[in-house]
Amino acid sequence: MIVTPFSSAEHGIAREAALLRDGRPALLLWQAEEPALVLPAALARRQDVRPARARAARAGWPTARRGSGGGIVPQGPSTLNLAMISPVAQGFTLEDGYNMICGALIEALSRFDITASTGSKPDAFCDGAWNILAEGRKLAGTAQRWRATPQGPILLAHAAVLIHRPESTLWPTLRDLSDAAFSDQPPIDADAHVALADLLPGRMNPDAFSGAVLRAAEERLVALGAREKDAA
Amino acid sequence: MATDITIPSDLWDGDEECVVTAWLASDGGKVTEGALIAEIMTAKVQYEITAPATGTLHIVKAQDEVAAKGDVIGTIT
Repeated sequence: MIVTPFSSAEHGIAREAALLRDGRPALLLWQAEEPALVLPAALARRQDVRPARARAARAGWPTARRGSGGGIVPQGPSTLNLAMISPVAQGFTLEDGYNMICGALIEALSRFDITASTGSKPDAFCDGAWNILAEGRKLAGTAQRWRATPQGPILLAHAAVLIHRPESTLWPTLRDLSDAAFSDQPPIDADAHVALADLLPGRMNPDAFSGAVLRAAEERLVALGAREKDAA
Repeated sequence: MATDITIPSDLWDGDEECVVTAWLASDGGKVTEGALIAEIMTAKVQYEITAPATGTLHIVKAQDEVAAKGDVIGTIT
């Protein structure tokens, strides 16, 4: 099976962390079976966010924590996660990391005649400059984590792709939690997002995307490994 | 002699600032060269900072403070 199933998002995040600690080049495509809203640990500790977290849990969206910062990300059967792990050499920048993972996603989408680009979408969840946008809407979000080692940094580039339209309960729940956590940001708009299943031609199964994205990501990891070898 | 702990200047291309999201060693505490001592965040990237020397840590930029590329966030004496 190409996509590794985890019962919860916390298990998937823990597996990514284990691969980052290991430090060898690796690819992981994973999905969580149970829905959850994943928050940065600092946000999950805030007292003023607790009532909204409790409401989210009652609505079927319990919260889970991750070590990194950023915004709130829905996980569950509607989200496909891609993690690319590799040592990187001096001179490799954050932009290189984003170009690598976004390039893999954009190439895989092009196999299905979907034109995508990178950019910000302020009324989408966990917005950043390196979203994957299709039809002007957010299809995927990306982030990175860099671990320091005596031999040089190890990169974990991560993407969360909306493959199916999430349950309708997500949007009011996400908006409520986001408003409690980030009062200075625009409210989350469901129409700022698009799912892969809505972009695929005909009745094509979104699962076909997994193979394409894995191949595109693997090519880039191999190229990065060759670049590391040349730099050494 | 003090050794500066600086935000790398070649880690990203733009002029975006970062936030010191965590100090993993105490102000005034002993640190060992190569040990993980801090984490910074910029553009949804969490980046680890290691101690450039062995000695006593003096924090210049506290947790949640903003820093620019090349800024000194602490020193080791």
